[in-house]
Amino acid sequence: MARKSLILVSVAVLALVMAAPVWAADEIKIGVLYPLTGGAAAEGKELRDGAELAVEIINNAKPELSMAIAKNAGIKSLGGAKVKLIIQDHQGNPQLAADLAKKLIQDDKVVGLMGAYHSAVTKTVSAVAERFGVPMINESSTSPALTKEGYKWFWRTTPHDTTFTNDLYEFLDGLTKGKAKGVKAFDPKELLPIVSACEKTEWGANVDLAIKEIGKARAVPVQLSLLYAAKAPDLSSEVQSLLAPKPATMLFAGYGADAILMVKTLKSMKAQPKLIWGQNAGFESPEFLSALGDDVNGILTRTVFSPRVGQVKKVAAEVNGLYKAKTGRDLSGASARAFTATQTWAHILEKAGSTKPEALQKAANEIMIGPDELIVPWKGVKFATTGSDIGQNELGTGMIGQYQKGKDGKITLEIIYPFELATADLIYPFKGW
Amino acid sequence: MTVETLLAQALKALVSGLTMGMVFGLVALGLTIIFGVMDIVNFAHGEFLMIGMYCGLLTYSGLGADPLFGLPIAAVVGFALGVGCYYGLVQFLLRGPMIAQLFGTFGLMLFLRNLALLIMGADPRGVHHGALVGKSFVMGPGIVVELTKLTAGIFSLLAFAAVWWLMNRTRIGLALTATALDGQAARYMGIPTEKMNAFAWGLGGTTVAVAGALLVNFWPVDPNVGLLFTMIAFTTVALGGFGSIPGAAFAGLIVGLLINLPPIWDAISAFSQWPILTAGEMHQFKYSFVYLAFFLIMVLRPRGLFGWKY
Repeated sequence: MARKSLILVSVAVLALVMAAPVWAADEIKIGVLYPLTGGAAAEGKELRDGAELAVEIINNAKPELSMAIAKNAGIKSLGGAKVKLIIQDHQGNPQLAADLAKKLIQDDKVVGLMGAYHSAVTKTVSAVAERFGVPMINESSTSPALTKEGYKWFWRTTPHDTTFTNDLYEFLDGLTKGKAKGVKAFDPKELLPIVSACEKTEWGANVDLAIKEIGKARAVPVQLSLLYAAKAPDLSSEVQSLLAPKPATMLFAGYGADAILMVKTLKSMKAQPKLIWGQNAGFESPEFLSALGDDVNGILTRTVFSPRVGQVKKVAAEVNGLYKAKTGRDLSGASARAFTATQTWAHILEKAGSTKPEALQKAANEIMIGPDELIVPWKGVKFATTGSDIGQNELGTGMIGQYQKGKDGKITLEIIYPFELATADLIYPFKGW
Repeated sequence: MTVETLLAQALKALVSGLTMGMVFGLVALGLTIIFGVMDIVNFAHGEFLMIGMYCGLLTYSGLGADPLFGLPIAAVVGFALGVGCYYGLVQFLLRGPMIAQLFGTFGLMLFLRNLALLIMGADPRGVHHGALVGKSFVMGPGIVVELTKLTAGIFSLLAFAAVWWLMNRTRIGLALTATALDGQAARYMGIPTEKMNAFAWGLGGTTVAVAGALLVNFWPVDPNVGLLFTMIAFTTVALGGFGSIPGAAFAGLIVGLLINLPPIWDAISAFSQWPILTAGEMHQFKYSFVYLAFFLIMVLRPRGLFGWKY
């Protein structure tokens, strides 16, 4: 009896194993690597939710949405095949992420990769993708160095930190010339001295370089710049050094919890700068706002998305509505960019009409997604195929937002830059805590 | 930069280092108690701290009270947690080899961290109002003293004094010390060593959970926050000598002062204008000084500064 049932079970298992490829035929697997635990877990969750919403829209027809991926169910040129994300948690660990990427490619046979938030992690994963010849789309890692490798299998939709840092100095320049809404022109010396503190991994170290180099080129040099360990319990020694030259402008790049700790330490050490700017990431995540409450009022952050974008872009408002219904939160820079990268994957698959790596590579190098399709305020998605920034989206642009407490007591990220898109008067100088 | 500002910067770094050092000492105290009595390294120590922090946070967000009211709650929770972990896990681990004890508490760490992730979510959270929240005062030449750290520091001194008194001046402390020195002999003398072990875990849990409830007035809490402090706590305990109460206090101060070397470097750089002392360069290495000190102690005096075991 026991033997008989053993045979039966074996047959059943065999049948399942044999049947699996038949199911898989109408499914396109994309391996996704995000930090779902560890210090950046909250951002990882945002990224995952953004990517999953895009997949829902790709796999189901939503004619009410004015974007191409919503027109029909699945990828039309592949017989309506559905996209399936296999999401893995890399915990912010570059080595683990490289191993996971190999497993996704070899065991799960994914047609492509997406991820991985931290620039240091994207660096190792993109190297794996390059070695195996598997296409990888990066949604939100902004270290400029990532697209300087000349890789043939790596594309990045988000603008990178050179673009963002240029925006920052454009903003500072415009601010002193009276271009910012609600602020009159003033002597540029008022913004000096400038100090900066960036976390010390791949991303922060490159932001630090960009801030120093671009500042020097524009004759507004940073007086003191330092790097710090993000996974650390104390930032008071850093803040003490930063405050020593009595800075007017303070620039930061931090992930998650360290950005919160930085602002808390600034407040408790009675910092009185005129302007505080954060390079997205920790300064832009929803928990930055929830953990600090009213203390964020007046802080600036570069961003790629604010719910306010919905005022100027209909499709952004529509997708934000869907996201809010799904998660209870507004789209953030992380979720909006994960959405956009997943959407880009759908466009590439649609154009390629195949899941062969070479076809995907060709399609990625040729696609052009127009600005009306996107929820982010970019000029489109088109990847560079020549020059020093191969694989970089040439049409991405950044924004600068400011947290402002409204009359209803709610804090919103208002758009401040580009000046022509401004949704509110700039609060300047920073009022302090 | 004048000599006065240079001295003021050095003084600021000193004050900041001493207060932060007392905080590190407080966090490390529970770890050293447990090790002193049982020779067990509690890898879940940081998670006990995290649970203490959530006690403070939930008192604030759940009951709407000042997070300081979370202190007694954290004390009770911490004691129960310590005793519960002992009877539920550690007493079984003691029967196994050393490696089982290491992996056992390591597993406990992963379990508690992921449990917190499941219940509380991954987002860092903080308290916005309270008697200590965001408060600081200025002293002398612009020395800012953060109230949360100062309170934690004072509390740390009290806790160290109390634990020292308990260990050296009471019967229960003598019994704990006897258990620590030779468990078998202590048992023959009629000391209930099982209860003593459980008590050590309870005491360790209480001190670290109370530390957590105090720290939440300043630090944001998330399920991974323990890790940030445990690395430092382990180093502190190893520097001071495993199992030594005054050692932990002293080593905490050393660690606090070491991580405040970079601002002094920056001040000297601004003062001297020597291009070789580039300002800002030292911050990225600030924990390296701590681990360097740890390394030197391990090489030169493996039992730690005040170690009394081995």
